Amino acid sequence: MGEAPNTERDAQNADARQRWRLALPAVTIIMVFSILPLIVVVLYSVLTPGDYGNVRWVFSTEGWFSVLFERDIFDDTLSLSDAHLTILARSVGLSLLTTALTLIFGVPTAWFIATRPPAARAFWLFLVTIPFWTNLLVRTIAVQEMIRSEGVFNRLFLWLGLIDQPIQMMFTNFAVLLGMAYVFLPLMVLPVFAAVEKFDFRLAEAGYDLYASRLFCLRKVILPLVRPGIIAGSILVFVPSLGAYVTPRIMGGGKSMMLGNLIEMQFGQGRNWPLGAALSITLTLLVLIALIYYTRLTSGRQGRSHG
Amino acid sequence: MLDIRDLTKQFGKGDSAVTALHQVSLSIAEGEFFTLLGPSGCGKTTLLRLIAGFEPPSGGALVLDGKDIALMPPNQRPVNTVFQSYALFPHMTVAQNVGFALEAQGRPKAEVARVVEKMLALVQMTHLRDRKSAALSGGQQQRVALARALAPQPRILLLDEPLSALDMKLRKEMQVELKRLQQETGLTFIFVTHDQEEALTMSDRIAVMNGGRLQQIASPRELYDLPENRFVASFIGESNFLMAQKLAGMIEIEGSKTALPSGFAAAYDGPVIVMIRPEHVVLGQGPSDAIRLTAQVERLVYFGTDTHIHMRLRDGTPLVARVQNALRGGAIAKVGDSVPVAFPQDALRLLPDTEA
Ligand SMILES: Nc1ncnc2c1ncn2[C@@H]1O[C@H](COP(=O)(O)OP(=O)(O)O)[C@@H](O)[C@H]1O
Ligand SMILES: [Mg+2]
Repeated sequence: MGEAPNTERDAQNADARQRWRLALPAVTIIMVFSILPLIVVVLYSVLTPGDYGNVRWVFSTEGWFSVLFERDIFDDTLSLSDAHLTILARSVGLSLLTTALTLIFGVPTAWFIATRPPAARAFWLFLVTIPFWTNLLVRTIAVQEMIRSEGVFNRLFLWLGLIDQPIQMMFTNFAVLLGMAYVFLPLMVLPVFAAVEKFDFRLAEAGYDLYASRLFCLRKVILPLVRPGIIAGSILVFVPSLGAYVTPRIMGGGKSMMLGNLIEMQFGQGRNWPLGAALSITLTLLVLIALIYYTRLTSGRQGRSHG
Repeated sequence: MLDIRDLTKQFGKGDSAVTALHQVSLSIAEGEFFTLLGPSGCGKTTLLRLIAGFEPPSGGALVLDGKDIALMPPNQRPVNTVFQSYALFPHMTVAQNVGFALEAQGRPKAEVARVVEKMLALVQMTHLRDRKSAALSGGQQQRVALARALAPQPRILLLDEPLSALDMKLRKEMQVELKRLQQETGLTFIFVTHDQEEALTMSDRIAVMNGGRLQQIASPRELYDLPENRFVASFIGESNFLMAQKLAGMIEIEGSKTALPSGFAAAYDGPVIVMIRPEHVVLGQGPSDAIRLTAQVERLVYFGTDTHIHMRLRDGTPLVARVQNALRGGAIAKVGDSVPVAFPQDALRLLPDTEA
């Protein structure tokens, strides 16, 4: 009788080996395309910048150091790097604002679409997703056309006599915010739409029947049930906002840089690849924090009682 | 207490318009177990939704305690619904579901807690008070939905086919339970079902509906004994319909005559439809005032307590008789036999000759 468990275990081991072989292609792809580049970036962040870009294979913590600090070229004193801190704060701030703005416009839009008859829904969804089929550059330039000095808004305001000089809107935080909110809006609308579409409106009716005001119904019945969609949309907007590059570049120029532009600069004119790599990892960590917060928000729902 | 007058509901406009309710009028008394009965699509849910306030009527009045509530929003009507789908809030516990209405009304926490406990005890769900409502069986969800709708003490409780999703055994249990609850609370129930047996066993009065029109409003007994038209007669219980001639206070079927049953005044002479329940058909001679005919036996169906004998009259009209099975004694009849059948005069019902 001692034989049986052994043969069973052998069979299981063979099975496991077999499975490992089957998983090999997938594992290889993950290693080559996702783990390996990450290792390269981490490695570069602790090397010394080369004179014409690239790196010299000498260990250095200077790259990481420069993320937050700068050394005075004359007397070697340390100080917090104002420029980097400003950009970091602006990145986080503008991303949060972008998320807020897409929430304000995206949730009612998604709600509107999800409550149309099915046939009309497809049409509205198509309209919302059109920007997806359009080049990001083209979309961003379209927003630029709206707000530049001779743009649509300024001309309209001038014509209406609201202003007598064009307002400078381009190359400000406002411009970047507007551009990003516009570009990322579909990423908010779609998951919220999916959540609202799944929502059983008979529940709202039940709430209404049980003496709830519209507001009470919204707070206690509708919001808790569409919340996963709202959180997913927020993450989908916040994460790419944080790393946005094209939109801040066009809308903010050199004046309103974000992390993505700062990183690009280190690999370009700055010729400081280790700093660029360190900044990239910083960005990744920020995203990671946002994602951890996200999983907390969504998984916390099960345990926590409502109300 | 609730007066419904000429209530009409039309969905859509123009060619695609559907009239779900045609001038429905009825009155419901305080403490009554009132049932809306009819086939699927006859407008039962629509009528309930109009009473609850989810839809505005296209015409007519809805008067509760002397006040027209036709256009009052649902959250101001002292009327609660037990939905066909239960519509429990899946993210809340059983207790939170039951306390929802009281919280929405802004009652003090202590009162909410007290009422919730009372309601949970009433539907025997206290042990599951902290369970998420999504993790309940159908019967349990049913009880929670009931407790949730009862908690704010509405004037009227509306129940839309609340038992249709339950299996047979649970259904019978819940029928008893519901009736007990209604009697204990003394509340007015408006109960919707398409199951005639359920309607007959539970209701004080039943309104039979078809195609958005009221057919008859009566007590279960009256509905079964004195159906006013062919639809009611065939929808409730089983019936035989026979072509007959009415002539000078007499009624004649295939040449056999009897006096017109009392209560059926002779308005005009000519062809009429006569209805007789299978259990009233007598195999044999029957009483002296019976109509006596001969029928050919086609099929016997054994049901334990009784046997259904499917026959045909000489003119081809189908006829079913229901005969109690005696403890002893052999077959009542054999297939192919020609047997004498009798229709006692007081078992005959005359129906208006409409709706073939
Ligand atoms: N919102 C609606 N829009 C259009 N037609 C409807 C609507 N609700 C119900 N109807 C129609 O009204 C009729 C009655 O429906 P309903 O009241 O649900 O019947 P029941 O509950 O008796 O099965 C049906 O023909 C149905 O198609
Ligand atoms: Mg219905």
